[in-house]
Amino acid sequence: MSLLRACKQASSLTRQNIATSSIYAARFVATDAAPPAEVKTESTSSEIVAPAQPPRDVMVADVISGAPSELRHRAVRIYQPTRNTMQSGPGKGERWRIDWDTLQGGGRWENPLMGWASSADYMQGTKITFKSKEDAIHFAEKQGWDYFVQQSTVKRIPPKNYAENYVYKPNQLRIHRTK
Amino acid sequence: MLRLVSTVSRPTSTGLLGKVVASSHTQNCTRRPFSSTSPKQADITLTVDGKEVTVPQGSALIQACEAAGSTIPRFCYHDRLAIAGNCRMCLVEVERSPKPVASCAMPAMPGSKVWTNTPLVHEAREGVMEFLLANHPLDCPICDQGGECDLQDQSMRYGSDRTRFHEITGKRAVENKDLGPLVKTSMNRCIQCTRCVRFANEVAGVEELGTTGRGNDMQIGMYVEKTMNSELSGNIVDLCPVGALTSKPYAYHARPWELKNTESVDVLDAVGSNIRVDSRGVQVMRIQPRTNDDVNEEWISDKTRYAYDGLKFQRLTTPLIKQGDRFVAASWEDALNAIATGLAASGAKDNEIQAIAGHLADTESLVALKDLVNKLGSDNLALDQVNGTSSPVHGIDIRSNYLFNSTIPGVEQADAILLVGTNPRHEAAVLNSRIRKSWLHTSLEVGLIGERVDTAYGYEYLGADAKALTDFVSGKGEFAKKFAAAKRPLIIVGSSLAEHPDGQGVYGQLAKFVEANKSKLVTPEWNGFSVLQRAASRSAAYDIGFTPSKKASETKPKFIYLLNADEVDPKSIPENAFVVYQGHHGDIGAQLADVCLPGAAYTEKSVTWVNTEGRAQLGRTAVPPPGAARDDWKVIRALSEIVGSPLPYDDVLTLRDRMWDISPSLVRYDITESTSTDVALVGLKTLSAKANAKVSGEKFLKPITNFYQTDVISRASVTMADCTKAFVKNEKEEFSNLGKGPQAAFA
Repeated sequence: MSLLRACKQASSLTRQNIATSSIYAARFVATDAAPPAEVKTESTSSEIVAPAQPPRDVMVADVISGAPSELRHRAVRIYQPTRNTMQSGPGKGERWRIDWDTLQGGGRWENPLMGWASSADYMQGTKITFKSKEDAIHFAEKQGWDYFVQQSTVKRIPPKNYAENYVYKPNQLRIHRTK
Repeated sequence: MLRLVSTVSRPTSTGLLGKVVASSHTQNCTRRPFSSTSPKQADITLTVDGKEVTVPQGSALIQACEAAGSTIPRFCYHDRLAIAGNCRMCLVEVERSPKPVASCAMPAMPGSKVWTNTPLVHEAREGVMEFLLANHPLDCPICDQGGECDLQDQSMRYGSDRTRFHEITGKRAVENKDLGPLVKTSMNRCIQCTRCVRFANEVAGVEELGTTGRGNDMQIGMYVEKTMNSELSGNIVDLCPVGALTSKPYAYHARPWELKNTESVDVLDAVGSNIRVDSRGVQVMRIQPRTNDDVNEEWISDKTRYAYDGLKFQRLTTPLIKQGDRFVAASWEDALNAIATGLAASGAKDNEIQAIAGHLADTESLVALKDLVNKLGSDNLALDQVNGTSSPVHGIDIRSNYLFNSTIPGVEQADAILLVGTNPRHEAAVLNSRIRKSWLHTSLEVGLIGERVDTAYGYEYLGADAKALTDFVSGKGEFAKKFAAAKRPLIIVGSSLAEHPDGQGVYGQLAKFVEANKSKLVTPEWNGFSVLQRAASRSAAYDIGFTPSKKASETKPKFIYLLNADEVDPKSIPENAFVVYQGHHGDIGAQLADVCLPGAAYTEKSVTWVNTEGRAQLGRTAVPPPGAARDDWKVIRALSEIVGSPLPYDDVLTLRDRMWDISPSLVRYDITESTSTDVALVGLKTLSAKANAKVSGEKFLKPITNFYQTDVISRASVTMADCTKAFVKNEKEEFSNLGKGPQAAFA
């Protein structure tokens, strides 16, 4: 079974669940963040690597939100924006973000009158920030959006010490500091 | 409702330095083998702003404050550079210390109490800021750093609200330096944080950039009139906390708040540097690095950073059909029909249908093209390189035979490196900086077989051809002894070796050597046989098996499909063959074509790229492709319909399913999958069987002679052409005259 089919099955499970659960119950659950999808590594055959998703009590908001149905066909990306390398501040880097892929055709074009950028895509300027990945996933699930979670990178900075500048190196000198 | 959940989980950054450092010495942070222990480091505990924090011993105080979540303003301190301690902005109050201390130059002491937010600290920082601003021009409105300037931000937060500056002689005036076509200088703005000097010294290996004078007269420069010739020079623009060093091609083009940031992956070399594409409207305005300690740390090469203007020129925007000796614009329908007619008219059967994949072909389109060509009954899948029309000498059955097995961060653990037929400085500039880092801080020994090059670190030159390798393998010479004594030796084999006539013999000898020393070179923790690819699409092409069968490689093609193939030798294309070119730039490949199909460049499609380590990364669309250009895999999908053998995938998800079926590693993003020892040894065995292949003794030449122009994008780039003039041909530019005129007298 491939990744997609596994996902489809998982989602159909979710759908059934939504249909059976009463709206009130779903609404209560929808307000607090559900736990993230646990990645289950146990697998009977080597083919099944996709996580078996537990059924989740998430109410799909677009039943009542009135959002255009096209949104359901666009995958969002959930990621932690990296720090701007031009600046030394952390730049709200602990937040998670949801945004949409740029569309191929109607994504953006140059307006012939003013030369400004025009777009037929109402989501192109939208980005939503969350405190945690789980919040972002929960929100996307609540809206019924497909999502791709881009894992954040691990920062590895060794302990740094001013004294390292003056450490004696036994062999040939390899750097001539000009500072 | 369909869910895309990435199946692999990695430990996320905890923000706690202590936890982060514990994993820094393991080769693969996701799966540490049982046999290796993480180095035990003593931790110390101190109190920052009333919060207890534990950091490894030897950390700077500023790191402890960061770990405690207190942001310390800084100008000179940078995580990836040596500590200078000269800006004094990071002053904090420490218990029982008579004065505020510079937290970057102060080691964190166990049990000490630190405050970062007291009136004393604020007063000290305000005083520092006053000195820094005393000589800083008030030109923020015309400064390119505006909006992302550390000095601007920190003066708003910590600075005084009024000036006491009443010198009638005015501010200090410094002449601008000419550092070449990439870095623009405005040295009046310099606050002498010396980040650029430390970067040039330590990371880039440009030891000419330095400081002269002292106190108020201190200046940063190259000592003599000289440009900064380094393939990493663009990074000093990022490092500069003020607007003293800014990007010349980007000068006055955009402000940071106008830009849309898209996190993507670079494809101009095989490292797969993580980049952030900043776009405005439909244009890519600049490219910035994205920090990723597993790939590019915080640096990107100048080609990665500045070749983006090549995306504006020479683009194919509509399908083209050749009529006589000129191209005529056509609709997609006509172009695809023309290909179907051309395929039928050429009479190409089975292996006479050839596909050639170039350097910038993405994984999705490679898979689609291979499926299409196979469906048409052909196995003639060539790569756009020398000998690309025959099966590669290293084979593609075992992944470790063509990947960078030691991984890029793993390079830092090596204590002896042998470079064979490669110049990592030009083939993988960011990787080269890691070798230099290791060379500076450890007793790493480097040996080189191949053409003599300036690598930015010292190396022992062993020779230029296969004979030097034979000597090394038989243990002759001093370096061979050092290599034998090394604990973690590493052999980096250049991708050009597979294209060399002696390739088979050289690979065979190396494989034999590795097998003989497998206790050190191939262990569960360490695989010291690494192949450095130089084209972004190559690892993916090998992974999916984009190579011809023996029978196919002997067939003369009648129909050729060039997918981003722009390095092809025009003579290798048969006279009467029908040629289709699919790609984004009008370069050599498009000239040869009968029909051109416009594709999307790497900033215009969300596709998978596999880097030289075998790490699959997902790029992202920043701007839509120009004109009628379309996603490459979609073009191939549409064509398959027209030629009558439709491919079974309609959207990118089903296509990635297909990729999953071919190799799950293609869609397991952001991780490297190491080959097990046994499998790697099997792979080496297949190579060493050919160790006695005849060698001609021809010299190993470096594959990249001009670092700045290696692919269609950088060849179309004006900035890269300027760099070629300035750094490769060493021609004086008109920009050298900038700043040579008389300066206004301020004093």
